[in-house]
Amino acid sequence: MLKKAFSLLAFLGSAALLFGAEPERCVVQIITSSQQPMWDAPWRFDAVRRSGGTGFVIKGRKIMTNAHVVSWAKQILVRRYQDPRPYVARVLFVGHDCDLALLEVENDAFFEGLEPLEFGPLPKVRSTVVTYGYPAGGEQISYTRGVVSRIELQVYVHIGNRSLLAVQTDAAINPGNSGGPVLQDDVVVGVAFQNMPGLENAGFFIPPPVIQHFLKDVEDGRYDGFPTAGIRIVALQNPAYRRRLKLEDDRTGARVDSLLPIPSTEQVLRPEDVLLQVGTYPIGSDGTVMFEGNRVFGSVAFQTAQHGETLSLKVWRDGQTTEVSLPMFVYDGDRLLGSQYDVLPRYFVHAGLVFTPLSQEYLRTIGRDAPNAEILYELYYRRHESPKTARPEPVVLVSVLPHPVNANLKAGRALVDRINGVRIEKLADVVRAFESGTNTHHLIEFLPNRALEALDRPTALAAHAEILKTYGLPSDRRL
Amino acid sequence: MSTSLPMNPVAADVSPLTLPVRKIRADSRRLLRFRGSRRGASWGILTLGLALLFGLTPALAAANGAARGWERAVVSLEITRNQADFLQPWSTHPQSAAKAGIVVGPREILTTAFALDNRTLVRVQHGGRGSWADAEVVWVDYPANLALLTSTNAAFWTGLKPVALARTISRDRAIQVLRWRAGNLEVRKAEFNRFSVSNPSITDAAHVVLEINSEIDGAGWAEPVVSGKQVIGVVFAQTGNLCQVLPAPFLRSLLEARREGTFKGLGYFDFTWQPSENSETLRALKLPPERDGVVVIDVPKRPATTPVLQPRDILLEVDGFDVDVRGDYLDPIYGHLMLENLSTRNKWAGQPVALKIWREGRELDVVYTLPKVEVARRLVPESAHGTPPEYLILGGLILQPLTRNYLESWGQDWERRAPFRLAYFRNEEPSPERPSVVVLSQVLPDVFNLGYQDLRSLVLERINGRKVSGLNDVAPALAQAADGFHTFEFLKGESLQRLVLDARQLDAATQRVLQRYGIEEPALIRPSP
Repeated sequence: MLKKAFSLLAFLGSAALLFGAEPERCVVQIITSSQQPMWDAPWRFDAVRRSGGTGFVIKGRKIMTNAHVVSWAKQILVRRYQDPRPYVARVLFVGHDCDLALLEVENDAFFEGLEPLEFGPLPKVRSTVVTYGYPAGGEQISYTRGVVSRIELQVYVHIGNRSLLAVQTDAAINPGNSGGPVLQDDVVVGVAFQNMPGLENAGFFIPPPVIQHFLKDVEDGRYDGFPTAGIRIVALQNPAYRRRLKLEDDRTGARVDSLLPIPSTEQVLRPEDVLLQVGTYPIGSDGTVMFEGNRVFGSVAFQTAQHGETLSLKVWRDGQTTEVSLPMFVYDGDRLLGSQYDVLPRYFVHAGLVFTPLSQEYLRTIGRDAPNAEILYELYYRRHESPKTARPEPVVLVSVLPHPVNANLKAGRALVDRINGVRIEKLADVVRAFESGTNTHHLIEFLPNRALEALDRPTALAAHAEILKTYGLPSDRRL
Repeated sequence: MSTSLPMNPVAADVSPLTLPVRKIRADSRRLLRFRGSRRGASWGILTLGLALLFGLTPALAAANGAARGWERAVVSLEITRNQADFLQPWSTHPQSAAKAGIVVGPREILTTAFALDNRTLVRVQHGGRGSWADAEVVWVDYPANLALLTSTNAAFWTGLKPVALARTISRDRAIQVLRWRAGNLEVRKAEFNRFSVSNPSITDAAHVVLEINSEIDGAGWAEPVVSGKQVIGVVFAQTGNLCQVLPAPFLRSLLEARREGTFKGLGYFDFTWQPSENSETLRALKLPPERDGVVVIDVPKRPATTPVLQPRDILLEVDGFDVDVRGDYLDPIYGHLMLENLSTRNKWAGQPVALKIWREGRELDVVYTLPKVEVARRLVPESAHGTPPEYLILGGLILQPLTRNYLESWGQDWERRAPFRLAYFRNEEPSPERPSVVVLSQVLPDVFNLGYQDLRSLVLERINGRKVSGLNDVAPALAQAADGFHTFEFLKGESLQRLVLDARQLDAATQRVLQRYGIEEPALIRPSP
């Protein structure tokens, strides 16, 4: 759940440029200076990090690369092939769920004399592809050749909680290759993006269906993302189960086991529905579809839709086939369970007590060595098991910035239950709880067993500004 | 029971579960099974091998004057047991264990309860060599981790002499750990480390533990710890150089109470308190500045009794001892100890403990009656010593009650390696809706359960619409089959929520699975209490 199975391929370092031939003229090196926020000290930033990746010029004077190459960027420099001059670029569109980004370069001279690369179809398994990029281990552009090993859904580790179609190849894909084009017959059939530590001769690239989905999505000037149906599809292969559903014991039809709380889906589908077909894709009894010659998990069929589009589904329900229309929307109900970008972490500090919403990003700062069962349960399980007691945005007391008014308060990394009697459902409740009320003490109660800590209200208030100054907090809140 | 926020210093007082090396062996066996082997190397042979290996080490030369006389009090125990396998609950396998015992009374040998469960044969030997005599367990208490043994073989007792359990423990005197190895009494130097309060074998209980450091290897099998002419404790666990010891004064008072008939099991404090080093918390609860105590934050509901404590009570005194802001009291024998120890300091289950508390601005004297430590009290019952694991096989689906033993089959690091959701049930209290938990632990593949063969560790909620909290609920629920199908529903979460089985084929499928996988009985279910 917390483990990153893949490593992203941006690398630290720099590189220079040399000579080359045709498609490589459009392959650019991207040098990013980025600064990530600290999720356990939300007003602070990590050290500035310089990392290198690859991009390529596509039509419309844009550069395509990976989202993770340009995330949290403070400055993006791009270098043309054989050109010593760095150009400043900026992000035009970024899709964190599909790990793609489009950059633009202010200086039009950058694009002069470049013939943009074109996109091709999903390559066939066993066919040969060549990657272009600026990986670690040297400064010149590097080419690697390999075959398409397999095509299936993979977790996109940049976001962490989405799986999209990806192609595995044995062409070496190394740190720095990220964002680089994968070519076949001089057209782009993928964007290199991740590999899997421990798996040799295996790199992954983003295939044309995902790239085209992204490009179509941004045509209206904004990126929405890949919509989610919000259903769990499970294999329907037990003969008794099929008989009970009065379904022939053949190879088609997978069962809807449960639904996410997405109203547009809940109105159309229900558990025990059997999906027979999604759009033009018949669903196999193991939940897979045949997608351009590859047997892949059925969510691919849902991912063909754009945000706001409607998919027509054939569903087996009550012993007969029914056609339904499923409106597809981007789901952000699990935003806190994935990596977060672009929006700085929110927090509130009172008298040195630092509060922030519970998220996977915060959990990662704790590390696996200090597991906190309550925090894990709250983040990953409660919403499913008891939606009634789940809080929209659980809040943690991250740390205490020591000062005589709070130095005896030894709590940290604890889930907040109530403050001054107010049940904390979201970060805004913390602000309200501290800023209202008149008791002599602030009372903070923690989950799971209502452990209790108090602060003397007047001295806490008096010390508040001084604590902010001592620890260099520009503000006591980012809400 | 004490609690603390994660960064709280009291956390350091709660020792992790430590296991003697032979328990770790049991863990590696599980890894072997996962590779497809049914059984690891025989335990007994390994034990013997180890004994020979260590028997040759020069450490034995350390035997010196300090050992004189102990040969007549320290004995060897050999225990054979049918070890249960919670991952294959229908199968047991014989294991042997070598332990130490100490003669503490006429025909009375004291040892730990560890590894006495599921015993098939217990034998004793004196002098480290010679013939073994059959022994019987006179008394065993698993939560207290203590047992008394005897033997009817008169020859065994010849030359043995009971020794006294110390009344106090000096931190300054030399201490040694004793055991028989290859015919000689091994005497290992040890150093006093500290006293702590815990009970690694059962969550509710807490008692004083002596921690010592020693170079000894593989201890934790009831090796006596001695100082001068007295026994100061019995080693019950070892991690690295750290040995955990049941201190003699605790053993002494427990055994005396047993003799007098007043020991009805260990008691415990079922309320949760937190340290109050943040004095503002005490001020907020209106305690005058010159007073100290700790705050009660959680009091469980117990049927048919009115709890004497309430959340936000402040514990000022327990059993006549002042409580400080850490939750410690000053023990006359051990020094500062966590107040939890007062639930087992000369007090046992059912006995009263006087509490002085601060409630709503005034002092109050109340009497708290110690509840008994019960292995079955928790939502995830603690070690069910001596009782074989329950299970039920339904057409290859294995249903098991969720128990700590089951979780422990994930190995020494089980708290992290067992499926998180299952382990998390240990943090939850039993409720009328969920008094206990039944798990679909695995599926033995058969054509009947085709499509379900990869399911494991699912929490079963209902069969045919009827709530299932224990294996006893299953048969009545199966009687509710509709249209010839059984519907199983699981806890909503990350895994499968529902499956359907053919009701008419179920019995035949179960029989087929039993035959194919060599299982004798389709179920072991004890009647619900």
